Amino acid sequence: MSFNAEKEISKLWRNLHSAHDEIGKTYMRWRQVALDLAGPNADPLEVSLKAAERIGLDIGKSWLPRLNWTKGEDAWLMGLAQSYAAQWINQGAIVKLEKGEKPFEVFLKWERCPWPTYAKEYGVPMEEDVLCCDKILQSVLQDVNIFFNVNYNIETLKAIPRGQGVCLRKLYKVG
Amino acid sequence: MAKQLFEWDYSKYPGAKKYPNLFKPIQIGNLIVPNRIKYAATEDNLNDHQGFVTDADVAYIRSRAEGVVGGLCFMQGVYMDPVRKGQGYVGQAAAWDDKFVPGLKKLADAIHSEKAVAGFQLMDCGRVGSVEVPFGHGPSAVPQRLRIFRPMHEMTKAEIKEMVKQHVDAAKRGVEAGFDILEISGIVGYLISNFISSYTNRRTDEYGGDIRGRMRAVVEIIQEVKAAVGQDIPLGIRLCCMELLDDVRGNTPEESIETYKISEEAGIDYISVTAGWQESIVPVISRDVPMGSWLHLAKKAKQNVKVPVQMAYRLFVPELPDKAIAAGELDIWEICRSMIADPLMPKKVLEGRQEEIRHCVACNLCLARLFRDAPMTCYINPLCAHEHDPKYYPQPAAEDEKKIVMIAGAGPAGMECAYVAAQRGHEVHIYDKRELVGGTILEASQAPYGDDELMTCVNFQKTMCDKYGVQFHLGTEVTPELIQDEMPDVVVLATGPVYSKLEGAEPDDKLFVNVLDVLSGRVEVGKNVVVWGNRKPGIGVALDLAKKGKKVTIVGREKSAGFDVNPSFKWRYMIYLRQNGINAYNDCDIAEISDGVVMVKTYDGYLFPVPCDTVVITQREANDNLKDVVQGEGIQLFVIGDALVPRNLSSAVHDGYRIGLRI
Repeated sequence: MSFNAEKEISKLWRNLHSAHDEIGKTYMRWRQVALDLAGPNADPLEVSLKAAERIGLDIGKSWLPRLNWTKGEDAWLMGLAQSYAAQWINQGAIVKLEKGEKPFEVFLKWERCPWPTYAKEYGVPMEEDVLCCDKILQSVLQDVNIFFNVNYNIETLKAIPRGQGVCLRKLYKVG
Repeated sequence: MAKQLFEWDYSKYPGAKKYPNLFKPIQIGNLIVPNRIKYAATEDNLNDHQGFVTDADVAYIRSRAEGVVGGLCFMQGVYMDPVRKGQGYVGQAAAWDDKFVPGLKKLADAIHSEKAVAGFQLMDCGRVGSVEVPFGHGPSAVPQRLRIFRPMHEMTKAEIKEMVKQHVDAAKRGVEAGFDILEISGIVGYLISNFISSYTNRRTDEYGGDIRGRMRAVVEIIQEVKAAVGQDIPLGIRLCCMELLDDVRGNTPEESIETYKISEEAGIDYISVTAGWQESIVPVISRDVPMGSWLHLAKKAKQNVKVPVQMAYRLFVPELPDKAIAAGELDIWEICRSMIADPLMPKKVLEGRQEEIRHCVACNLCLARLFRDAPMTCYINPLCAHEHDPKYYPQPAAEDEKKIVMIAGAGPAGMECAYVAAQRGHEVHIYDKRELVGGTILEASQAPYGDDELMTCVNFQKTMCDKYGVQFHLGTEVTPELIQDEMPDVVVLATGPVYSKLEGAEPDDKLFVNVLDVLSGRVEVGKNVVVWGNRKPGIGVALDLAKKGKKVTIVGREKSAGFDVNPSFKWRYMIYLRQNGINAYNDCDIAEISDGVVMVKTYDGYLFPVPCDTVVITQREANDNLKDVVQGEGIQLFVIGDALVPRNLSSAVHDGYRIGLRI
């Protein structure tokens, strides 16, 4: 049996991209279903933010078994930031981390993200895309903060859908 | 005035001479217990789903009460609230109403019938409870990290007061039912431990804050229960000495010890020392944790409190607690899983029949069953949870039905079947082509992380075979000619599995080796090893080789590695595979082997190469050899263990036992 590495990798690559694509499209299809069911008076942004909150809460819950305080708060915070990054990388984004100058502060930079493209394709306003990402990121912290008895926040400083080239978010300890 | 409920004289027993510290009395509160042995409260899921005690549970407890030979025998912890938030197991007994008292009385009577001290445990499962309702209760609404558990509601002060009252009312019902000693369960993530831990108690009122605040509810329970039941009923508590929750900001060891001191100040009569929560990511009681590893916690407790200190947690042999008691590091030997595996374990110790103990192999199948709402069972004790059913006990065969039984294979299936059949009066001959008994367990026990303990099962079976007169023919392979020469009435094939052949593999090809030959050291393997088969034998040999410095890759058809290992142990193996740098390619096949490379094919057709000097075959199939010969001769045939369907040690033992009863 001959093994052609290029053939195997390109096959995997194609399927991975198709899977990425399906994630985005499935979300957009369900968004449309939710809006259809909600009726003409529903505010699409409100519906989407509700979905984003649910998604964020569920993601946060799935991280609880993996985040680990044993090596102290700094290591824990990097673990949290890496979990954020991995969540988007798995969807096709490129996300880099950088420690902030202040203690307990990390910057996350999305150099590339597929979601604005999906939004454009399905006619979703760019600002809704930004606000939904924001909502997901913040909702993740809801359970994480309570579980570890901490108070962290994440806020958006720049956003690709706003034409700023990258999405830049600051994850930091409040107070 | 201290009282002793039943008279026991151990002086004539060999065990009392060998382990004098285990068989001397101790005073707990105003009660004198004649020995230092306790069957610790253990959930078994055997009760009615409304909380009423069943005959199955009574029989289960009676057998354990017989085992403690006059010591303490605790029934499982009861939940105490009618809303059932405190219920952690579908078959957990309840005590929230007087209607439960008659059932509880049956348990106390069963324990007393064996002249043992009857213990009653109060157990609100808190964070890991509410098995039948959508929300749990706790001091704070800290989210669950395991999805299996329910979301939490923070208890109001009124609810805390009500919870304390529920403990008091349940304690009174326990005493009314006839129990002699009470215990509060504050371990592994149950409600009391939730109040105590900084991880789960974030309250800012008087029930939270520092460790004294977090202990307030516990102190109230201790004091109010003591006041309600009087000084003649001792009250103990089970508390974590080490939560092992550093990863989620749990209590410090100092805080844990403080809980012992506070409990003692509040009037507790003994402390049972435990370690870890269900949510802990550190192994505590599985086979990979060496026996006696946690004794240092009991010693620490002894240094900090004056009341008696008890402990279970991997004290599977009497030598360990006997020495610890002698050294002043422990007062009472708690036993839990060891008496699930063998209810009469301490009785056998006393009677000098230690060889006849069926030792627990610390697989945690019992726990895995409970968490899946199934009745208790034991990996190696087929009678467990069937104590009430006469069909599960060996009955003597009628004189005209006694048979000559030939068993092929002296592994765990064959030997289990052999001694049970012999005990019933059959003439049993067991054959094995090897000179040693044990079958594949001889090799399997060479795998790391405690698998040497698997041999205890074989040793027990050999003792029982000898006791009941099973005749061994070691070094003798069962062949068609032998069957035709002997013409027994029954043949039991317990020959173990046959190992799968990979396509293209020649019998004399040195690239392919058998798992048994590798584990026993009969063959050498190369630097890069591919283990073919991702069930337990594959994991065992992979870990063994990785520990010897080999680069190991597992390839197997099951969707996850360790598919045949119960979930309460499997997570350990997954961590060990990672720690030892072993990749497991599951849901995969070996497509081709050539030039130092194995071509792995995923379930959906992707190919990738893995460097390989040796392929270890662990994939097994049923063994049909001799079946046709036996049936052709008209001899009654049974096939058991891996020869029937390759599975695990448990299946071998259970198959053997059942067929031993049927012959």
